[in-house]
Amino acid sequence: MRILVVEDEKKTAAFIRKALQTEGFVVEVCHAGDEGLAALQTSAFDALVLDIMLPGLDGLGVLRRLRELGRQTPVLLLSARGEVTERVAGLNAGADDYLPKPFELSELVARVRALLRRGGETKATVLRVGDLELDTLTRQARRAGRDIPLTAREYRLLEFLMRSAGRLCARMTIIEKVWDYDFDPGTNLVDVYIRRLRGKIDADFEPKLLHTVRGAGYLLKDPA
Amino acid sequence: MKIRTRLTLWYAGILILSLLVIGLGTYHEIAEQMRHHHRDEVADHPADVQGDHRGDHALNETGEMVLRVGLPAVALGLLGGWWLTRRALAPVARLTSAVEAIHEHNLRTPLPRNSSGDELDRLTEVFNAMTARLDGSFNRIREFTLHASHELKTPLTILCGETETALRDESLSPTEHERAVSQLDELRRLTHIVDSLTLLAKADAGQIVLASEPVRWDELIRDNFADALILAEPHGIHVELSARETVTVLGDRHRLRQLLLNLTDNAVKYNRPQGQILMVLRRVGDTAEFSIANTGQGIPPEILPRVFDRFFRGDAAHGSRVEGCGLGLSIAQWIVNAHHGTIVIESPDAELTTARVRLKIHNPQA
Repeated sequence: MRILVVEDEKKTAAFIRKALQTEGFVVEVCHAGDEGLAALQTSAFDALVLDIMLPGLDGLGVLRRLRELGRQTPVLLLSARGEVTERVAGLNAGADDYLPKPFELSELVARVRALLRRGGETKATVLRVGDLELDTLTRQARRAGRDIPLTAREYRLLEFLMRSAGRLCARMTIIEKVWDYDFDPGTNLVDVYIRRLRGKIDADFEPKLLHTVRGAGYLLKDPA
Repeated sequence: MKIRTRLTLWYAGILILSLLVIGLGTYHEIAEQMRHHHRDEVADHPADVQGDHRGDHALNETGEMVLRVGLPAVALGLLGGWWLTRRALAPVARLTSAVEAIHEHNLRTPLPRNSSGDELDRLTEVFNAMTARLDGSFNRIREFTLHASHELKTPLTILCGETETALRDESLSPTEHERAVSQLDELRRLTHIVDSLTLLAKADAGQIVLASEPVRWDELIRDNFADALILAEPHGIHVELSARETVTVLGDRHRLRQLLLNLTDNAVKYNRPQGQILMVLRRVGDTAEFSIANTGQGIPPEILPRVFDRFFRGDAAHGSRVEGCGLGLSIAQWIVNAHHGTIVIESPDAELTTARVRLKIHNPQA
């Protein structure tokens, strides 16, 4: 998987490259818009991480040119401005996702992964992780044959975690997908809900399925 | 006392004084004439004239003149004076109401000038120049905050990224790992402060456009109640909600949810263990009042007016155990104001604090 990163801030570009490389991606970095566009035209990339503020041709310009050329490469926009109108402008210009700075690296990695499996998400109506089962039609959760009552929010959280089973779920992604908040609530809402959910699906069972990755997020996976 | 009343009273005093002078002059004139007349009479009939008759007569004559002509003239003068001061002061009254309408966001609108070049026109000109300078200063402060929060974002991104990269390093000792995690927590806090600051700076600069669509306010409140229960549970706080009404307001769904979460977060953070939170939604006329009351230390009356101030966090002892940056209520106030509503914080005693938000009910039939 080849990923192009267009970011003029050298240090930022460096740790994005490092993080994506650690995840097993092949990463190329450009520091200017024109340079990035040239790279996109000469070789194929599976995804593009694009900063909006660039010297010369800016990120939105690169994105528009790319789409005009008929290229459907998934694009994650980065921006220091993080304004709702800008997000809309970016998505209208053909971006697939948008991440305001300052972002967390785990968040960026999670989103790039999500871009690459667009459409590949499991559509199954019954989700399974180990002996934990979630029926998305009846909204019923069971573990080891025992029913687990869930509130509406807990259900949405569990469904999100199960659909992303085996992958790290970053805090902001959870806030966005489960709460539909477009702002950082600045509370420990997610942590408290995870703790409750853990009490319901993990406390009386073995093995433990819901794991905390400190400083990064949460992960639901079957250790077996 | 108003200038107008004062001027009119002075004017009346002057008129009455001149009337007295005129009366005195008239009296002398009449008395003189009578003396001449009398001298002629004495020459004709020297025996039968009483001297003091003459004085009385002159006084009566003068009194009559002053009463008949002088007083109406004074009254007319007073009316004229009243009208004149009113006319002269009307531009001042207009200027006053124009100045009254000035606040920090419309400093750019100049006061209307009469272009006559008179003293008041000159005053207006000077005043306009002053508000223009003030506007400049306000803008520089706003821009400074906005630029500062933008400039902080790049280094923050780098710090976060590098700390996270360090965390992934398998060779870290547990102590180093612990330190990196703690740094990341602080960086998150800093990020949240910078985000909040950016939001407020943008709001000040009028750069945020809020949606204005019908929103089921009662549903947002019930939704928030579910989160409140979860946030309160670890502290043993009991939460109650009373919201039977169906209420729709016009507004921005995301910002209204942010408002509710901010208020709930405060009610939990400033509560006491095993305390209580009571949320109520009710109709008051054509407005919907949402109140959220929490037990806890209460807010002393002397600091109550400052709770919406940015970075204000009450006294040190009160704030030290509470996490937060002191921007939550400023943001809440901005959101409510942007929805043309009102928000007040009340703390009737040392045990209870209530936040009250009023929003206009949206009624599509009306």
